Amino acid sequence: MPRWGMVIDVKRCIACWGCTIACKEEHFLPPGVFFNRVLIGETGKFPTSSKLIYPVLCNHCEDAACVEACPTGATYVREDGIVAVDDTKCVGCRACMIACPYQQRTYYDEKTKNREYFPGQGKTEMEIIGEKLYPFKLGTVIKCNFCSERVDAGMKKGLTPGKDENATPACVNICPVGARVFGDLDDPNSEINRLIMEKKGKQLRKEFGTEPAVYYID
Amino acid sequence: MNDNHQNLVETMFPSDGSGTKPYEWMITPTRQRQWIDDKGVFLWLAFFFSEIGAGLYFMSLFYSFRPGIVIGWLITLLLGGIIHMLYLGNPKRAWRMLMKPNTSELSRGIWIIGIFAVLGFLQMITPGGFNMVFNFIMGILCLLIISHGFATMNVVRALPAWSSTIVLPLSIISGIWVGQQLLQFIFALSGNATVVSGMEVWAATFFLIYVLCIGLYAWGTWHMSDVAKISVKKMLEGDLKRITYVGVGVLAVLLPLIFTLIMWGGSTNGFLVFLRLASVLAGDLAVRYLIMKTAVYNPLI
Repeated sequence: MPRWGMVIDVKRCIACWGCTIACKEEHFLPPGVFFNRVLIGETGKFPTSSKLIYPVLCNHCEDAACVEACPTGATYVREDGIVAVDDTKCVGCRACMIACPYQQRTYYDEKTKNREYFPGQGKTEMEIIGEKLYPFKLGTVIKCNFCSERVDAGMKKGLTPGKDENATPACVNICPVGARVFGDLDDPNSEINRLIMEKKGKQLRKEFGTEPAVYYID
Repeated sequence: MNDNHQNLVETMFPSDGSGTKPYEWMITPTRQRQWIDDKGVFLWLAFFFSEIGAGLYFMSLFYSFRPGIVIGWLITLLLGGIIHMLYLGNPKRAWRMLMKPNTSELSRGIWIIGIFAVLGFLQMITPGGFNMVFNFIMGILCLLIISHGFATMNVVRALPAWSSTIVLPLSIISGIWVGQQLLQFIFALSGNATVVSGMEVWAATFFLIYVLCIGLYAWGTWHMSDVAKISVKKMLEGDLKRITYVGVGVLAVLLPLIFTLIMWGGSTNGFLVFLRLASVLAGDLAVRYLIMKTAVYNPLI
């Protein structure tokens, strides 16, 4: 069984927010909800300051703090390493949201559901279709799932996630500069492992000991 | 700016901060919102009522005082329990919270509350319920319930202000202190002046430890890390400073100190006991509110 992970080359990222938008389209996310963000920050002081660009998403941690905190078992780590939420078990206690050091989870409530992309003009056809095609359950927590629907469906068809578009997360497919690489962390010959080894991939906030599956290289 | 524009801005970047610009998310120390803002206040109240109910039950055990354990049991289960349910997104599935006691502090808490409910009820209805074994077990359960709220917060490694080692002792002493005050007031209401007077030495002791723990929490958090220090700064600046100075400074510390000094040596007075109780309740609520409200996450980059 593979263990899916991602490498993000922050030197390549041009902060086009393509991943943010592709993710929103893929999951029909309502306004204000992001499974993918591109953080823009600064380090150092003028004149030696430099700009930081960090695309962030759920890190699908091996020792996920959210999984530990969840009292119902609704949040779990799948065999392939993807951290998923079973919305039939979620009670909406939000312990996972509190526990996540990366703050990559969103509580889906009435207020979130009712937000319109064009306020006061009603929901667009796209939004209405989205709610039917990709329904979120009220009172539960939602998050990035590494596009597990695409990965699962692709693998059933014999496709390889990370190589074949139809089995690869939307944010990876859309990236115009190839800053994102998706693949199997358990396969020593995979592209993702080569990049981590060669370019000394770093995990975000490693000190929390959650073993993120998303690595950053520069 | 017309209404439509205002609506658009409110939608994309709601004033509650939930729609922070995606590129500014977690680039600076970010306050936790889920367990204090909006419906999160229910959790703050639920932890508080569970704690004071268990505190009252705990103190009543030392006096074999049945009305005290009944009231404590009811406060913990009815007030604490119902308010907990109001917080949940799907309260009908609350039973599922029993499923993960091996890793989840919340789940362990639900088990403890369940056992407390059953054994507490048995103790209430059993004629010889105040025997040593029963008292010992119930005492342990009460302490666990008192610390449950803060224990749930204490295990969150991502929030330095909550993972301070003094958080648990503070929660235990605050539960016992408030419980002792409630019990003293109930005794005062029932006209039992001797017991009320005798309890004063405990009141003074618990109060001193409580104030010491608050001081240690603030001092320890200030020196823990730069991010934890921001939590203390948030208490002392901006909108929250009023709650800190009035709620903690005056209601939790100054007034109880004055009342305790007036009643020093056991010269108690029912009205003063009531005033001190009211002040302690409001003060403890303020302490809990501030600890929950000011916890901040480390920035990601």
